[in-house]
Amino acid sequence: MKEINLTVNGKKHRIKIDENMRLIDLLREKLNLLGTKEGCGEGECGACSIIMDGEVVTSCLVMAFQAESADIITIEGLEKEDGTLHPIQQAFLDEGATQCGFCTPGMILSAKALLDKNPRPTRVEIKEGISGNLCRCTGYNKIVDAIEKAAILLEKGGN
Amino acid sequence: MKIKEVIKAKDLNEALLSLDKYRDKSKLIAGGTDIVIDLKHKKVLPEVLIDISDVEELSQIKIEESYVEIGAAVTFTKIEKSKKLDNRLKGLKEASRLVGSPQIRNLGTIGGNICNVSPAADTVPPLLALDSIAVVMSVEGKREVPLQELFLDKGKIDLKENELLHSIKFSKLQKNQALGFSKLGLRKALAISRIATSVCIEIDEDNRCKEIRIGSGALGKYGLREKSTEDFIRDKILDENFIEESARFLKSEIEKRLEGRSSKEFKSEAVMGTFKKAIREAIQLIKA
Ligand SMILES: Cc1cc2nc3c(=O)[nH]c(=O)nc-3n(C[C@H](O)[C@H](O)[C@H](O)COP(=O)(O)OP(=O)(O)OC[C@H]3O[C@@H](n4cnc5c(N)ncnc54)[C@H](O)[C@@H]3O)c2cc1C
Ligand code: FES
Ligand code: FES
Repeated sequence: MKEINLTVNGKKHRIKIDENMRLIDLLREKLNLLGTKEGCGEGECGACSIIMDGEVVTSCLVMAFQAESADIITIEGLEKEDGTLHPIQQAFLDEGATQCGFCTPGMILSAKALLDKNPRPTRVEIKEGISGNLCRCTGYNKIVDAIEKAAILLEKGGN
Repeated sequence: MKIKEVIKAKDLNEALLSLDKYRDKSKLIAGGTDIVIDLKHKKVLPEVLIDISDVEELSQIKIEESYVEIGAAVTFTKIEKSKKLDNRLKGLKEASRLVGSPQIRNLGTIGGNICNVSPAADTVPPLLALDSIAVVMSVEGKREVPLQELFLDKGKIDLKENELLHSIKFSKLQKNQALGFSKLGLRKALAISRIATSVCIEIDEDNRCKEIRIGSGALGKYGLREKSTEDFIRDKILDENFIEESARFLKSEIEKRLEGRSSKEFKSEAVMGTFKKAIREAIQLIKA
């Protein structure tokens, strides 16, 4: 057992972890943040994507102890306290960009990491931004539409 | 996995001391994009993991008077976005930009790419074409070796139990020098067909090739220099006809190397394309 400090969705935590744990295990099992999904467990599908210190990463390839002092955002950290959805989440709903929903949390976090750095991406840039996230249902076009729409919503002054 | 101790090194000294203490019981972890998968499949069974991803001294790109030094823990994203690396080094930035996905590029490091000794490690061909020197370090001090000499076999790197890769060094490129890169097959699922070629050239005003180094990936057990093709090209005028002729020469070299392998036909054909793209890109960069 080892104790680590980290910030998740703005809240500071001090958590006991097993040395063999990955970051995805810490998020799901220790913090009960079940929005982070495990698909392949090998970095290929992106379902486990989270934002760590401003960059999107696959939490199945990070060991929990490596997240000491890290600032992490999971899908649960996006909506406001009153339950209002984040503009990217709203755009996904409006555009029908989510079907079974398994890829959606990771997809939205990739979109957020992209839009935080590049507020008006082209469709090509959006496709590149989500190239590490697989979706078996939607065929991607509606996802790209949603991210384009989210960029406009965010520019109009969402958060 | 049965890891008993994990150490997140705060500085280089702590990393070196931990490595010296735990030796073959330990494994270094940087981005984790190779080793976490190996841990999962029990291909490696360390008792101790030493994380070097937050060691400042290993995470820097330094431009010195005559050379460039890239820390082992520098990520693909950092190389791709670095303003310090000028456009004549496009081949190295391109190799980093074309790795896997944003998530993998944000985690994966150049040191991990080298030390994993995969035939398809994408930053290795450009680093070989740059004639890179590996800076290796332990508690006893630093040593420098040509990068190529670190590769012993597929998956086997020539580092002692208490040594780590500190950084990679190569000479700054001059006005008449540039580095090009081209790869085939973007996704990991296509790894078997992932051929990469990087070409570093120096040309004079008449388009004569003063110096050339070619690095290739996925055409051997690890990244290789194509020295006989380099000799074939050196001192010749690089017009389109000669580039075609060089590509055919390289093809015949690869055919010899892969004799008896099922991949021979495909790879020797494909390398002509990646080679021509890489050398044309390098020429264009010099002329730009
Ligand atoms: C989905 C996916 C896609 C990928 N796509 C590509 C691709 O397109 N091109 C490509 O080249 N690779 C690709 N990879 C492979 C991988 O991302 C790279 O090889 C990466 O550079 C590994 O770096 P890392 O920091 O994550 O290494 P780690 O996994 O942390 O370490 C790898 C190995 O190197 C050792 N090591 C790490 N740093 C040092 C050091 N400084 N000194 C000594 N030993 C060290 C570790 O002990 C371990 O044995 C992909 C991987 C995945 C999962
Ligand atoms: S579960 Fe992490 S990438 Fe698939
Ligand atoms: S909505 Fe089902 S995988 Fe994307």
